[in-house]
Amino acid sequence: MATGGADPTGSGQQASTPGLRYPSNKKTIYDRNLNRSKNAELSRAAFAYLFVEMISYAQRNVRDIAALEKRLNEQGYPLGLRLLDLLLSRSSNPLASIRPTRIHTLIQWVAQTLWRHLFGRPADALERSATDATQYMLYDNDPMVSTYISLPREMRGLNCAAFVAGIVEGVCDGAGFATEGVTAHSVGDQGSQEGDAAGAAPKKEMWPDKTVFLIKFKQEVLEREEILAKGAG
Amino acid sequence: MSYTFTILSPTDTPLFTHSFGTSRSGGDGIPRFTSSERALIPFILHSALDIVEDVQWGPSTSAGSAPMYLKHIDKYQNNFISCWITGGNVRFLLLTRPRDEALGLGPSSSGQKGSLAGGRAGLQSSSGMLYSPTNAATEEAVKNFFQDVYESWLKTIMNPFFNVGKGDVVKSPVFRARVAAAAKKYL
Repeated sequence: MATGGADPTGSGQQASTPGLRYPSNKKTIYDRNLNRSKNAELSRAAFAYLFVEMISYAQRNVRDIAALEKRLNEQGYPLGLRLLDLLLSRSSNPLASIRPTRIHTLIQWVAQTLWRHLFGRPADALERSATDATQYMLYDNDPMVSTYISLPREMRGLNCAAFVAGIVEGVCDGAGFATEGVTAHSVGDQGSQEGDAAGAAPKKEMWPDKTVFLIKFKQEVLEREEILAKGAG
Repeated sequence: MSYTFTILSPTDTPLFTHSFGTSRSGGDGIPRFTSSERALIPFILHSALDIVEDVQWGPSTSAGSAPMYLKHIDKYQNNFISCWITGGNVRFLLLTRPRDEALGLGPSSSGQKGSLAGGRAGLQSSSGMLYSPTNAATEEAVKNFFQDVYESWLKTIMNPFFNVGKGDVVKSPVFRARVAAAAKKYL
């Protein structure tokens, strides 16, 4: 019976719980402090190196760009489920143990708390789609994940922030706000077309990696929101 | 007083179950459910989930967030159910079955008083004090218990080998020991 956090090389074997193998330092994950890494930061180089490996792993036997983005999304999804609870427990007042129950609070939480934790700054803009009430747009002018990525010509449609989109999707699904999916799109391409028309080319240069995360909630989430807003009161 | 603690996944799969008795006021920590009660427990807990879903989103006036601790939510016969819901919609349910005397059912002799969850000596001094799930001391004790378990739960889901949200059952004996320790400390 393999157990949580047990290091396979651990030598310690306790008689009271046969089969449980302790790590060599006798500390299971339950003995570690959850806030130990609260203010710890990972070096950008280490992240970039790992992320490149993740992308090339996802790229194996992949059919097209959509499938590649889907795999990146799936890599991020479980992270979102975990970060949701971890960051909620680290909120300013841990005893209050508050969780978001409305779309607006959740989205704000993603744009502020989650973004700060992941990238050290809040997201750049947050909008609700004017045409589709189920859609929210979260903008990041310079997503950290795309910083060291230059796309080959034949893969221009790819946006590696699909990984971050997966994290956001995990957070929303986990909190009980089911999504149709969260996708990452580069805004640069659109900007260049509009920019050419308006003659405002330098604007596009400013944020070449600008990415929009399209969060599309399921219809039932919106319906629930409406019922809750009316409520008994 | 006997307790059953269950963790239910967002898709209503039981991930962890632990039964124990009170360790307060001379309790030995052994659950004393009758066999028919024991058989009913899963049904009682699952039926309480409907109530959880009713109350988990908070009132319509809510500012957009709600506490994880939902307090006492349901009662079936002599079983009281308290709930804690995590950010990831995992439900912790605690079923409390007070002793008959504590409910004023059995022949209550003067020496026997209902053991109150987390009861302080002062609260128990008034003879004939009946168990109440909404008693402030009870709520506080259950909250402390849930908080300790929540911390252990967080550590469980931080394990990269634990499939969060896919109905992975918690098998770790260390987790069970942590729950038992929290139970012993607060209930």
